[in-house]
Amino acid sequence: MRPPRAQQLLVTALAVLVAAYILAPFAWIALSSIQPEKELFSVPPHWVPRILTGDNYRFIFTGKFPAGFAETGLLRGRISEKARDALPALRNSTIVALTVAMANLVLGVVAAYSFSRLKFRGAGALYTFVLASRLLPPMALAIPYYLIVARLGLLDRYGALILIHSAVTLPFTVWFLSVYFRRVPPDMEEAALVDGCTRLQVLVRIVAPVAAPALAAAAAFAFMFSYNDFPFALFVTSTIRSQTIPVIVSATAVNTDVSFGVVAVTVVLTMLPPVAFALLFRHYITRGLITVVTTR
Amino acid sequence: MIRRYFALASGLLALTLVVCAVAVAAAPTQLTFTVWSYSNDVVQDNIQKFQARNPGITVALSDFDWGKFTDVMTARFVGKTSTDVSYSSDHWLQQWAAANWIVPLDDYFPQVAAYKPDFAPYAIEGMTYNGKLYGLPYYADTEIFIYNEDLLKRAGFSTPPVTWDDVTKMAVAMKQKKIVEYPLMFQFQDITPDYIEIFLSMVYSHKNPSMFDKTLTPTYDSESSAAHKVARWLVDGFRTTKIINPASLETTEIPLVKAMGAGQVAFAVLPKYNLADLNTPGAHAQAGKFKMALMPGETHGTVGYVRFYAMTKMAADRGKEVRDASWKFLDYFGGKTGGEFTVVKRWALEKGLGFAQLPLYKDPQVRAAINKWGNVTLEEQQAKLARAKEALTPFWGSWSLEFQKEMNKALLGQETPLQALQASAAKWKEMKK
Amino acid sequence: MSWKARETRYAYATVLPVVVLVALFTVYPVGYAVSTSLREVVLYRPASTPFVGFKNYLDIVRGDFFATAWGHTLTFTLFAVALATILGFGVAHLLRVRSRIASFLNAAVLLPWAIPTVISGILWAWIFNSTYGAFNGALYSLGLISSYIPWLSRPTSALFCVLFAHIWKELPLTSILYVAALQAIPDELYDAARADGAGVLATLRRITIPLVLPTTLIVVIYESMVAIVTFDLLYVMTGGGPAGATSLISYYIYNRMFTSYNFGQGAALAVILALSLIVFILVYLRVLSSEDVYRE
Repeated sequence: MRPPRAQQLLVTALAVLVAAYILAPFAWIALSSIQPEKELFSVPPHWVPRILTGDNYRFIFTGKFPAGFAETGLLRGRISEKARDALPALRNSTIVALTVAMANLVLGVVAAYSFSRLKFRGAGALYTFVLASRLLPPMALAIPYYLIVARLGLLDRYGALILIHSAVTLPFTVWFLSVYFRRVPPDMEEAALVDGCTRLQVLVRIVAPVAAPALAAAAAFAFMFSYNDFPFALFVTSTIRSQTIPVIVSATAVNTDVSFGVVAVTVVLTMLPPVAFALLFRHYITRGLITVVTTR
Repeated sequence: MIRRYFALASGLLALTLVVCAVAVAAAPTQLTFTVWSYSNDVVQDNIQKFQARNPGITVALSDFDWGKFTDVMTARFVGKTSTDVSYSSDHWLQQWAAANWIVPLDDYFPQVAAYKPDFAPYAIEGMTYNGKLYGLPYYADTEIFIYNEDLLKRAGFSTPPVTWDDVTKMAVAMKQKKIVEYPLMFQFQDITPDYIEIFLSMVYSHKNPSMFDKTLTPTYDSESSAAHKVARWLVDGFRTTKIINPASLETTEIPLVKAMGAGQVAFAVLPKYNLADLNTPGAHAQAGKFKMALMPGETHGTVGYVRFYAMTKMAADRGKEVRDASWKFLDYFGGKTGGEFTVVKRWALEKGLGFAQLPLYKDPQVRAAINKWGNVTLEEQQAKLARAKEALTPFWGSWSLEFQKEMNKALLGQETPLQALQASAAKWKEMKK
Repeated sequence: MSWKARETRYAYATVLPVVVLVALFTVYPVGYAVSTSLREVVLYRPASTPFVGFKNYLDIVRGDFFATAWGHTLTFTLFAVALATILGFGVAHLLRVRSRIASFLNAAVLLPWAIPTVISGILWAWIFNSTYGAFNGALYSLGLISSYIPWLSRPTSALFCVLFAHIWKELPLTSILYVAALQAIPDELYDAARADGAGVLATLRRITIPLVLPTTLIVVIYESMVAIVTFDLLYVMTGGGPAGATSLISYYIYNRMFTSYNFGQGAALAVILALSLIVFILVYLRVLSSEDVYRE
């Protein structure tokens, strides 16, 4: 039975409203990235851009100044050169986030499986760790984390970020997946064990394929957390060798020579990897979440 | 036979020792240099040139977000991560020096005294703690009064304001003639470090500007103080004549410059390098119309600040070689090479940054470059009238945020200007204990 | 070796790496925070850091910012949690409708999740800007206002702008959690209710809301934790202003540590915050567990 017309219209209207709320900032930033700087400050804004330009993108990719920025009589012109670090930073962010996701998949899955299937003390401690690792605000954690990483000699290296991000995301991954695993009936695993498989073989050959949605969801959460982290990345990175994209965008945005058009380009570039990741994995995320939120 | 072998052996040994000695002597000294991210490519180029002149020294550059610079450096110093030379600033010198993170150059390099006559007095004061000099200037600048000449002319005025009453008069005229709704805007966000400097600039343009006495007790919370005059003028402009944009409470330096560049602001108090930015054709719609004027007020005084190169305690402790290398570095970047302040001059020509090294005002290249976007005569004049911020202490940063918050309460009408000044003075006394 | 012993060895081998890593990054910071909070540690007075017991805690609690900061934090958290939960619940219903716009929305709703918080702060500060912002521009172009409004310069509207940006960031997660929860409710229950003549509201009250209660618990706990420690967004958008109107406890932790250089007080405040979070969570669990939640 199709719902009444009025109800359909109401639902559509609400959906459009929500879509506008979600997408408006992205539309604004995307449009700002292809307009010359001066256009961005008109009152009211030019909703349909009057002048389009690739200058901002060209500056990030090649270093050529947008039109008019070099004409002050100054030998160098004024524009935030830090923005040119955006591409290497994007590479850093993506590599670190993917590694953290992998670490969660390997270490987290194996640990979660052991938690759910094998009898040993520590389940209570697990729950405590999951919550405890989120109780202290990042500001209070920054210095101790910095000290740990410094002592390990990992400052300004991918290792620092991978270590910190994994330490923060693993508790959630292990909890999330162990809840999921407990939901899976153990019959097939029992049979395989009787046949002589080790626990690890059972995990890899039987359980993991079935639990793929949950694994993908856990990997996605870990990726997002690592990619979006700012407070920890800020402290433990010091050169473009390891500086991540949030660090670069923030540093660009506070420079006095900042061009908002160029900042807009860095924001657009920032979004590309995680948006691609999120869109690819969204079905898995929902399916993974379903089982977990309905399990006790 | 044996004698010949012996001679050969000793010859080889001697040769080996010489080669080793040369190798050891040639092992480069590594310096770590921390900066905030501004024109890193220029900094790197300067480093290359320095290394070319000093083959025994290599410099590794680390750069951080300007807004978070002190936070990250705090972690670095607390964690004792190797840092040898660093950017620093007058408004946190007290904290870094008292924490023993950076060292007085006077103690290690007496030759630095030779530079003092060349530096502007406000810069020397800004780099001095407990009577000792802690750095060589990277750049120094003054807060200046910038106006949009076009808007001024349209309101019927041909010369910029000379007193704060002039400013009010002209702003009211602009508002009434509907030329611009809020002719004035300030960077008065609660926690922006520029706020207090702007306020102090306005205070220093009055007679009897001192806010503290010799024992560092606040004197500005009295009815007759210059600070009170400024506070009353601001509240008046905010709430009565409405010539000051109420959005000032959310504004920091960059949004203010963007708004001014778009023609929404006629008068502003900003660090001078913003004049070069505002007159950049590609960046602002109104580029070319901005001029500087001496700070309005009886004395035309203003605040001068300095950012400088400092040497860390860690470097000082690493031994003579590192100290010597650090001095060569400081001397190259903040001092003279071949009789000229090369690096400072480069910043002035390439980026329009101000400088504390006064001889550069005689350089015709520098004068011509400045005149393209500013007014070098006025700039020199303003620099002579600039004062360093008074009463800098390790808790000055903390106090300034309280001052700003209380001033904003007055601007919102939650308390009177005098109450705001008294509240922050009370906080100062508490922190001083 | 017996099969049991081999299994136990496998269990510990798979779990220990994760536990050790997480413990390092949980136990050390907590220990650091607690031990620092019990000493007077002021960085520009490095000569002495004496043990002072609870002095830092008392100084904090007696400080005049403490009460107001808690007031602001609780206000912000209350609104943030309520809005994130209710809107997430509502949007989840929209996402489950079968229509083209709903499937578009399903993809779009993930986007705010894919962006670092500090960048969303920069973005929203730009949008709400009172001179050239898109929000003012939109209202002006639609004829709703005659001149731009300084949203972030007035205490009340500043708080709402920050909430607007905060909810925008949190909506992806809460709505997807609720989609998962709603999907788990069997259709037969709704059919039966409709057959009994129950209206929309009654269905919501009797069936939907009670059955998603476990998810609501998760959402409320998680959103509270996020709201109470929120820092980056506020710092960038308002700097805690105007006149301290949006200064939360998390800002004061930063202020104590990095502006006043008083690590002792900063650590004490962080510990107080962590303890408060534990209390909140326990309260939530008590209140929401008193319902007959775990029916399966």
